[in-house]
Amino acid sequence: MGMASMSSGSESLRLCVFDLRRGQHEGQELDKILFFYPPDLTFSTQLSVIGLSEGLITFTRLFSPDAACEVIEAERHSHVFYEAEPDIWMVMVVEKNKEIEAVWRIDALRRVLKEVHSLFVMFQGSIRALLEKEPTGGLIRSHLYPFITDYLNDLFVGKKHQLPSFRETLTERGTVQMLTLARDAALEVQSLVGVLDSCAGTVRCHSVILFHDLLVSTTLSPDDTVDVFAFSVMRLTTNALSSGTSSWSYLRKGSVTPQISSRSTSVLPLGSGGTLPSGNGSSTGRVIRPLQHDKWSKGKDGFLVTDIWGIDATPTILIQKTQERFYLLTYQYKSLTLVLLVPTAAIVNGELDISFVKQQVIENASAKILKVEEKLSKGWGGENAYHVSGYRYLLVDNDMEVSRASPPGKVATLAKESLLALNKLREEVDTEKGRSKQEKDMEICIRAKNNTWVIARLNRGKELYMALEKASETLLDATDSVQRFSNRYCSGAFSMD
Amino acid sequence: MATSDSSSSPSSSGTEFADPNPSTDPETNSERVQSQLESMNLSQPSEVSDGSHTEYSGGDDDDDVASANGNEGGVSNGGLVREGVAGTSGEEEMEVSLRVENPVEMEAGEEPPSPTSSGYDGERGSSGGATSTYKADDVSEDEIREANVDGDTASQHEAAWLPGKRHVDEDDASMSWRKRKKHFFILSNSGKPIYSRYGDEHKLAGFSATLQAIISFVENGGDRVNLVKAGKHQVVFLVKGPIYLVCISCTDETYEYLRGQLDLLYGQMILILTKSIDRCFEKNAKFDMTPLLGGTDAVFSSLVHSFSWNPATFLHAYTCLPLPYALRQATGTILQDVCASGVLFSLLMCRHKVVSLTGAQKASLHPDDLLLLSNFVMSSESFRTSESFSPICLPRYNAQAFLHAYVHFFDDDTYVILLTTRSDAFHHLKDCRVRLEDVLLKSNILSVVQRSIAEGGMRVEDVPIDRRRRSSTTNQGQDTAVPDVSVGTGGPFGLWHFMYRSIYLDQYISSEFSPPVTSHRQQKSLYRAYQKLYASMHVKGLGPHKTQYRRDENYTLLCWVTPDFELYAAFDPLADKAMAIKICNQVCQRVKDVENEVFLQGASPFSW
Repeated sequence: MGMASMSSGSESLRLCVFDLRRGQHEGQELDKILFFYPPDLTFSTQLSVIGLSEGLITFTRLFSPDAACEVIEAERHSHVFYEAEPDIWMVMVVEKNKEIEAVWRIDALRRVLKEVHSLFVMFQGSIRALLEKEPTGGLIRSHLYPFITDYLNDLFVGKKHQLPSFRETLTERGTVQMLTLARDAALEVQSLVGVLDSCAGTVRCHSVILFHDLLVSTTLSPDDTVDVFAFSVMRLTTNALSSGTSSWSYLRKGSVTPQISSRSTSVLPLGSGGTLPSGNGSSTGRVIRPLQHDKWSKGKDGFLVTDIWGIDATPTILIQKTQERFYLLTYQYKSLTLVLLVPTAAIVNGELDISFVKQQVIENASAKILKVEEKLSKGWGGENAYHVSGYRYLLVDNDMEVSRASPPGKVATLAKESLLALNKLREEVDTEKGRSKQEKDMEICIRAKNNTWVIARLNRGKELYMALEKASETLLDATDSVQRFSNRYCSGAFSMD
Repeated sequence: MATSDSSSSPSSSGTEFADPNPSTDPETNSERVQSQLESMNLSQPSEVSDGSHTEYSGGDDDDDVASANGNEGGVSNGGLVREGVAGTSGEEEMEVSLRVENPVEMEAGEEPPSPTSSGYDGERGSSGGATSTYKADDVSEDEIREANVDGDTASQHEAAWLPGKRHVDEDDASMSWRKRKKHFFILSNSGKPIYSRYGDEHKLAGFSATLQAIISFVENGGDRVNLVKAGKHQVVFLVKGPIYLVCISCTDETYEYLRGQLDLLYGQMILILTKSIDRCFEKNAKFDMTPLLGGTDAVFSSLVHSFSWNPATFLHAYTCLPLPYALRQATGTILQDVCASGVLFSLLMCRHKVVSLTGAQKASLHPDDLLLLSNFVMSSESFRTSESFSPICLPRYNAQAFLHAYVHFFDDDTYVILLTTRSDAFHHLKDCRVRLEDVLLKSNILSVVQRSIAEGGMRVEDVPIDRRRRSSTTNQGQDTAVPDVSVGTGGPFGLWHFMYRSIYLDQYISSEFSPPVTSHRQQKSLYRAYQKLYASMHVKGLGPHKTQYRRDENYTLLCWVTPDFELYAAFDPLADKAMAIKICNQVCQRVKDVENEVFLQGASPFSW
């Protein structure tokens, strides 16, 4: 009964999506479940996870009507809640285990849920919309299953999902990492963006440009940029395309081992038909798997091609800010990746028009692309470009949804105790941020047991986290180090005076 | 004074039992939570029957237990201190001879024969005019959040805190109840309510069953729920055998501290009943414990109140009344003599502060036991009105067994507690007290104690500013011009407050509150900041950390943890960092200078 089987098996992750508006009548509880991982768990176990979640959502609303259950901390598991859409909840249950370093920061786990949902909406639209389109739930289930499974496969290392643990405490999922541009390069990029914007004639396009796994430029809102950036780094950039070789990206490391291939996409998560009140997706047609692995390659014309959306079919994505759909075209030259977004409304003749736009890009922008690539390559400091000697840091700008951090290789040199102390400090800051609506202005410097200084600074929507292992003894020395860093790398954003 | 029987007689106040099933709000009522768990066929059916109320023959239906004289409380001496409770009548009855109230002892495993077998009578029978006296309390201390208003408008209410249970007319269907900032619940593992800070336990049977369902649902899955977070709310769970404790709070306190509070609440219950209650539940899972705790509302509410003003609740250390070294030594010698005559512990206390204490050989008193014991004595009216001999249990010392406590108040503040294992020692302890009183009067100690209360403890204003020692006290040697000494108010360089905890002695000293930390609300807020700092320094598995500097819009806080001591200091948020460090050094020096007066020095073998 219950979750007794939680500890059995090697898989310690559970992830479910459910709709509180469904399955209100006795005997129909299964109807609530839209997604459950791992899919081979018994219904009663699935229902037990969802029953507890729903019970606590209702319970906490008695006292906190505006913010229902966010997390359940039990002795052996953390249950992380995220209300992705009104009444549509995602819950992740992870097993705590100090020995295998399963020490989490809840907010980091919630950002995983947030990211997978944002990406889903970007490709498929909202979960609610799909439910309304087909109220039996077959459609949404058939979409969610491959999507989330493909996403989770990115986190697969060895036989287990590698969730963001304390080792990734100096990273921030759901933010964009930027390339710093020299003045002349910035001018070149600006001019390139101008050309890209107008390559579909009078209709304004959007563009997102990346160099390696760093953002060079965007014309989208910060929220949309985060989504497009995340997807690009997952599947489109040169690092992503050379799948198998490890990417040095801040957030996505490790090799990609596609797991879903063993399961046919047509298999629904809730077993074969009959048991479900919903139709088995018979009317849903072919299910598209936007996050499918190893499906992108570079075509002869420099544009990336995939058959995920069908032969010669160009994918479309939904932009949150305007709720418009855009064709997603990706052009790659060396390490430069250009994501061009063309409004679907402007394309009358389908792929014919798309080819025309591509033609325009090649004709009008090739020279500029060459030049930009050259400038960026020349100024490129390599993987450790943003390493600052003596510091291990993470800098987050919440307004712009941008972050910069010490390279993972450098962070890995920190002692485990330092990382754990910093992780704990970040948890404290998360709590403080959660409590006040306005932006917090605060500073915490802790000298940990192992003499490392772990530091958090919050100022006007910007956050700086730092571990200084070789700082000398005093608080004032540590403060001076932060001050120097702030002046040199943050335009004094965290300076005291 | 009221006898214990009065508390169990049916009330004629007209308070009616609520509908046993108070679900008026089908959308959000807690019953729904349970039905959700149940609808999944996975929760155990609650064992609370709707008819459970009929088992009660009265019990907790006093309108309110706050006394009418309303002169209790007030901000002084480092916190909100209760004083002069029912002062006058207490003096008159001081000489009432042996009056062992209901001297029935609950032996291990034995079912208590009467509802108040704990042998003492809490606050009873003084219910007139209560409503007018706790009005201010509603806004300042307790604890309805004002919607959309972060209203500090209430800060001028200097919380006249009154003991006892409030808002008994509420239950989980009332909005006002749901909006209380901090709930405490004790329930049995069958879901029967034992204690609720707000509302009538009877009416909360359904809610209690829901809490039980959540706990056992997770337990059935082979896990144990510790914390649920929702927005600003935290729901903290603590399971102690057959007893479940739950706190629901939006007070911005840390999980660790809330859990510690539940632990103390449990300890307070054990102090009254001993752990042998576990056996009652073994015999009968539906055992109803509420009658056993009849009349103890004031004890629990006073403990809950202390969570927001008494640092001992999170420092796990006790504090002493400042006294000349020789006087404390002299007092210790007399107490030592008392212990030598077969007494386990002898304590001379002043409010919650220790004047002196000694223990029999090898016996040691845990600071938490001391806290719970003094809370029990201070909050129970009957101890003040006559000398008492009462069974109590020290949960950290031995949770299984009752000791016997002889308590006598010399005046409103000062009292002696003599603890023995012998149930027939009353006359002996009384003799001890008489001898002790003789010495105290002859040596004038009681009046020195009174003077010390009046004078208060260390003040931040007294921390010396030694300009000459500047370069030697900090190794930074910043010889720039000294900034204006009077940054803000309070002590030098914006020092507002400090606490110093001696790890070796298990004692702490806390400075008196100085401007600008004057209102109860500000003091509570500072303590909460300290609590966070404490939790942050003592992270499980990682800590303790060595140093912490923390600045936000309210304070600059500094903390040092060394093998010998811990220092917590609060400064003006704009205080200069280098200067603050220097001042902290001076505070430590200052405490060391006066340690013989502010601490009880190793007179007795304290070795836990």
